[in-house]
Amino acid sequence: MNQEERLNIIKDILLTDEREFAASIQKKIKVLENTVNEKDQLSEKISPIIDEKLSEFVKEIPNSLGPTITEALKEEIKNSQDAVVEALFPILGKMVKRCVQHEMKLLSEKINTQLNNTFSFKRFFRSKRSKNKGVNDADLIIQKQSSPKIEQIIFIEKGSGLVLAVYSKEKATDEDMVAGMLTAIKSFIEDAFKKEEQDLQYIEYDHYHIHLQNLSSYYIAVIVSGAYNVLYKDKLEDKLLEFASKIIKPEILKNKEILTKKIKVYFNNDNI
Amino acid sequence: MTTSKKIVLLGHFGVGKSSLIRRFVENTFSENYKVTIGVHIFKKVVEVSNSDSISLIIWDLEGQDDIKKTRSSYLLGTNGFIYVFDLSRPITFENLNSELEFLKENFPNIPVKVVGNKMDLVTKLYLKDYSEVFGHLVDFFTSAKTGSRVDNLFSKLAKELL
Repeated sequence: MNQEERLNIIKDILLTDEREFAASIQKKIKVLENTVNEKDQLSEKISPIIDEKLSEFVKEIPNSLGPTITEALKEEIKNSQDAVVEALFPILGKMVKRCVQHEMKLLSEKINTQLNNTFSFKRFFRSKRSKNKGVNDADLIIQKQSSPKIEQIIFIEKGSGLVLAVYSKEKATDEDMVAGMLTAIKSFIEDAFKKEEQDLQYIEYDHYHIHLQNLSSYYIAVIVSGAYNVLYKDKLEDKLLEFASKIIKPEILKNKEILTKKIKVYFNNDNI
Repeated sequence: MTTSKKIVLLGHFGVGKSSLIRRFVENTFSENYKVTIGVHIFKKVVEVSNSDSISLIIWDLEGQDDIKKTRSSYLLGTNGFIYVFDLSRPITFENLNSELEFLKENFPNIPVKVVGNKMDLVTKLYLKDYSEVFGHLVDFFTSAKTGSRVDNLFSKLAKELL
């Protein structure tokens, strides 16, 4: 065995392990290279990690980003209120309009069904009227339903708020309490604004209007349900003033019974 | 026959005006103090005789430490006043004379009943000590809490109004 052969033997003994180790490393690098370079393989490895992180992130959004987003939105809306209103108004308007149209259609259909199921002289005359006016039956009924109706008339002494007379078709409220409270409200408002010769003219409550007709020593409170409008107000005022000038005399004002009878006769018919 | 009369209660804050009315109208009493804002109206029909009754429309006004501060329009057309003070708080009756003088001047011929309320909180000795201050002016010593003399007060006034 010469020198070179001996050297080879020693090399084999010393380097075999390193060579095998280097070969295995090279193999692993190759696999890694493939994994990184091949999209499918890379995705197989990374996707579960990303998914996990993403779901954690989504869970955390309300806590971490929620307050910041809310604050930013608030600030944005505050700074551009006009723009927000501008943007929302047409949408809301359309929604409300659509809703009202839908409800009106339902009501109209309901009334039409009712009409079709009923035959009466009233319907005959109403149909005649609707043909003459060019308005359909249902609209005429709606008009009638919302027409103003007198619920109660109370004659009240100014100052004391005591009831002079009362007329109502159905006993619904305690007129003494109503008269007292109305007088207190009237006194307060008229006092608070300190405007002489100016009176509280009406109070609106739910679908009731309390029309207040002021006269010298007393005032008249008329509780009206339905559509109380300027036209009706004018007619009611005329009627009340006419009653006050033609019927009311000092001796009648002092007699609750007679005054009540007079009111009953005069206002028995609602069609003012 | 029933006639209606307007009664107005006056006096400082917290003297028990609302409590007296509640005791008379509803026969109830509450320890919880609720301040009256503006005016509150109550009604009670009192039988004065076999044939006559009187409908008392009672105006419970918010308390004022000076009667002149009361909204004058609330006092218009009043048929009878009840002036209430708190027996246990001298500040509520120290100007009693001038307050009653104001009523006499502005509403002559209108009956006024002067009431020392919260009788349950004071002793006879205490009343004796203060008798010179209000003794000659008071018509009724009442307690809204126990109900003592409350009905008598309103009945007496109702009879005077008929």
